[in-house]
Amino acid sequence: MIEGFRLGVFSRGATLWDGLDFAFGDAAAWFVAGPPSSGKTLLLSILRGERRPDAGDVLVTGNSLYRGNAAHARAWRASCGHVPEQTISGARLTVGDLFRRSALAGGGVRESERKDRADRLLEMVGLPGASGWRIAELSISERVRACLAAELLRGPKVLFCDGVVAGAGIPCREMLWGLFRALAREGNTVVLAERTIPERWALAAGDGAPVGPFRVYRLPVPGEG
Amino acid sequence: MSEQPSLWWIDWRLSRASVVRETIGRFLFFCFIGFALLSMLLSGGASRFFADRYVITAVLRAEVPPAEAEGLARKVAALPPVRSASYRDPEAAWKEFLRAYPGLDALRGAGGNPMPGYIEIRIRPDRLTGDDVDLVASALRSVPLVERVLAGEEWFPRLLRAGRLAFRLGWGIFGAFLAGFFLVARLQERARAVALAADFAFLAERGVPAGRMALLRAAAAAVSGFLLAAAGTAAGGGALFASLRTFPFLEGVIGPPADLLLPRTIAAAVLFSLGAAFLSAAASLLGWRAARSGRK
Repeated sequence: MIEGFRLGVFSRGATLWDGLDFAFGDAAAWFVAGPPSSGKTLLLSILRGERRPDAGDVLVTGNSLYRGNAAHARAWRASCGHVPEQTISGARLTVGDLFRRSALAGGGVRESERKDRADRLLEMVGLPGASGWRIAELSISERVRACLAAELLRGPKVLFCDGVVAGAGIPCREMLWGLFRALAREGNTVVLAERTIPERWALAAGDGAPVGPFRVYRLPVPGEG
Repeated sequence: MSEQPSLWWIDWRLSRASVVRETIGRFLFFCFIGFALLSMLLSGGASRFFADRYVITAVLRAEVPPAEAEGLARKVAALPPVRSASYRDPEAAWKEFLRAYPGLDALRGAGGNPMPGYIEIRIRPDRLTGDDVDLVASALRSVPLVERVLAGEEWFPRLLRAGRLAFRLGWGIFGAFLAGFFLVARLQERARAVALAADFAFLAERGVPAGRMALLRAAAAAVSGFLLAAAGTAAGGGALFASLRTFPFLEGVIGPPADLLLPRTIAAAVLFSLGAAFLSAAASLLGWRAARSGRK
């Protein structure tokens, strides 16, 4: 369980938001929708333990990320996956390098196993045989999907995705819808931040809960009552 | 929670091509510098060269019997700074004289052999100092059998000065090469840290402490630096050994090949490898710091 209590952020000389409470339960896919410049990326950074909020605190399984044990915060970050909105575009970097880097962060992934899993993950996100492709030569949608696949290599317990649904594009929505719900069904937690929720997703998720400038949805997980 | 990632040889895992290039370059450098180091250690700068040529001559009185002269030579040879002391009787001295100045046979005609016997004393290369030469010369002068000691006191201080200068120059050049290695290694480490900055940021974002990354990179640099220096010095030693066997005249300047296996030579090579490990680790840490602070 990830809980944000009375979270507040002051940015550019003004209060972006203050006093927000969040509760993201385990084994679920969460969708945070918010207008541009509302602080979605900032919220994800705070929840990941990357950026201390200007007010409030974040608790993970009851322990404070910012006021508690530093080792706990590090372990939390190590258990998280993160697909940023601004994907990397290193000129020489290949898709395979993303997986190599991710495997290094995960530790203990053998080379043969990494390659095997990378191939399967790339195929799953619609990029079969993309290991040798240069990131700089990929479209935005391909980059987002490649980054997502690389993060999944480590099998993170919690996955934060910033603008992944919009970045991947409409043709990939069905795939992502199935993927995120499948991850949740397997006991992982997924937190998505987007400007708008796709109509079909909103219909399935029902009315989201308004939290400050955001609306938080819980996507239905297959097999739930 | 994910298990703690292993960061050993992190650079190797992320950027093999540049690591291989730098490793080859460093190994070749250590081969060269190892060759130079062992040559310097064995030769002692110019000491062996000078010691091979410098001789103290103790001219004996005419009436000294050969048995006493040989006994004296043995006593002189037992002095700590002395490498060898050999007695030449008057007849051998006369032959040497004639070899040096042919056509002067007539000098012997009237009063017999005019040449006295003498003891030729050579000093050990590591004891070729003013004090040690004075010790030997004064010991000989106090012996009644000795008429005169020729130790080249007029020019010997100049020889020692030249030796010291050559010694300092040699080690100075060696130190300059090591400083150059440190500078280049630091630049390489910085360039690699800059090239891998995105990877390090990625890892830091996923809970890997930056300090741990820096320390483990430095530790890996130290280990590889030690191994490369040891391997390079061994290869340089092998090349030196082969050179000394192929060109025996080099032994007079550098020393015998067997000296390469003396415990003190091996200890010096190990110390050098440890120094290389320290320099490699320092270059890694400084390169990391420079890359992190964004200095170009």
